Amino acid sequence: MLCQICGKKEATFHFKEIINDQIRELHLCEECARKKSFLSQPFPLASLIGGLTEEAGIPFSVASQVRCPHCGLSYEQIREKGKIGCSFCYQTFKDYLIPLLERIHGHTHHSGKAPKELKMDEKEKEIHKLRRELEEIVKKEEYEKAAKIRDKIRKLEKEENK
Amino acid sequence: MILGEMAGSSSYWLRGDGPEATIVFSSRVRLARNLKEFVFPPWAQSSILKSVAEKVLKAVKKTIYFKDVYYIEIGGLSPLERDFLLERHLISQEFSKGGEERFLVVEKKEILSLMVNEEDHLRIQTIFSGLQLREAWDLINKVDDALEENIDYAFSPQWGYLTACSTNTGTGMRASCMLHLPALVISGKINELLKEISKLGLVARGLYGEGTEAQGDFFQVSNQVTLGPSEPQIIDNVGRIVREVVNQERRIREVLLKRNKVQIEDEVGRAYGILTHAHLMDTKTAMNLLSRMRLGVDLNLLPKVETSVLNELLFLITSAHIQIKEGKTLAPLFRDELRAKLIKERLNESFKG
Repeated sequence: MLCQICGKKEATFHFKEIINDQIRELHLCEECARKKSFLSQPFPLASLIGGLTEEAGIPFSVASQVRCPHCGLSYEQIREKGKIGCSFCYQTFKDYLIPLLERIHGHTHHSGKAPKELKMDEKEKEIHKLRRELEEIVKKEEYEKAAKIRDKIRKLEKEENK
Repeated sequence: MILGEMAGSSSYWLRGDGPEATIVFSSRVRLARNLKEFVFPPWAQSSILKSVAEKVLKAVKKTIYFKDVYYIEIGGLSPLERDFLLERHLISQEFSKGGEERFLVVEKKEILSLMVNEEDHLRIQTIFSGLQLREAWDLINKVDDALEENIDYAFSPQWGYLTACSTNTGTGMRASCMLHLPALVISGKINELLKEISKLGLVARGLYGEGTEAQGDFFQVSNQVTLGPSEPQIIDNVGRIVREVVNQERRIREVLLKRNKVQIEDEVGRAYGILTHAHLMDTKTAMNLLSRMRLGVDLNLLPKVETSVLNELLFLITSAHIQIKEGKTLAPLFRDELRAKLIKERLNESFKG
């Protein structure tokens, strides 16, 4: 991604600006970032202060202004206590939490159990997708393939009705 | 009242009838769950905790799994009673310090329990005797399904179950085994092994979990990663590594018996002698001696004692257990006296039986 100001150099600094509660994202090269005085210090020093936040490329002072719309906490508060405020914080602070989760777990995606309702949705989606595929294949008169897909759908539906 | 009743019986998982029970004391699985619309307990006001507790307890009553249970409000307990539940592995260190609106629901066999408003809204736990992680998972999975029918869990398709601490996000699951590894300790190989274990993504802790020191050669080993692998993958991984640790412990026991038989005989014989003849005994000494005696019994170097008796003793001798049983707080000297007496009685009963 190129710098949004000069449009020449690679953007290596990514900011979030909050104006009248609106979050605006900025992607700048180092030179323009310094000119706009987003960076008062050379980067290595900022990283010493920032702890987690600089991983997301967001200056700490800006980060602390964002608050979770549900519980009202800032990331600064969460970081200090080491405890997340509510389920909505995950979405609000995902830019900080994703690198943190990756560092702790080495993964960023859950592959285990899900509440039943969601599981059904997934299955329904899968069936839906297969049905569309089936239609296409029937149009092409590839009946052997179509039979396989039909069996798959039947199996999924059977599982769902269990 | 309830605790006095509990002190009179022991948890089912202490019976020592599971696979590998002489080395794998217990297998435990816990799930962290939260309610979608409510602030997590570390940040929640009392009124929120109250609403959460009401919702959760209502859901609990609707399931078939919590029929014969004790409901215990932590805020109403004395420090001694809190220690008792901690020693019994029913609550965590953090929960034991909790105040109002924090509940423990425990089924009377103590296989299944639930902490309400710990760090997360729900902490469900199952404990089985021996190496039975899969069984512990199967049960807790069903309980979780049943609760979910009446609770709207905080869940995201990307991150899984959302928890107050990022170290639990994903499956929210911790699968652990309590291991008795005296031969690895005696031979000095334990640190090497614990290091190996940590490379494989497991953590080793003391008898009472987080932040506790290992006592009497007992170690609790559990998964560190909760996001990424699925629950059955985590269970299999922990189980596989535990099995390997058990094999190593057995191998070293054989080596010790071959090369240092007299020393081992002496070590376990002394433990046996003190346990059956002492008149005063502090907890730490008792733990260590019982650990050595357990080794001696397993190697057929000492008279036969049921694993269940040795398991139970490890809990009955703890300070809070002794005092709850007596129904009052006691000075350390009295506790030491009662402890020594209790050990002698239980062992003698077992020899006769």
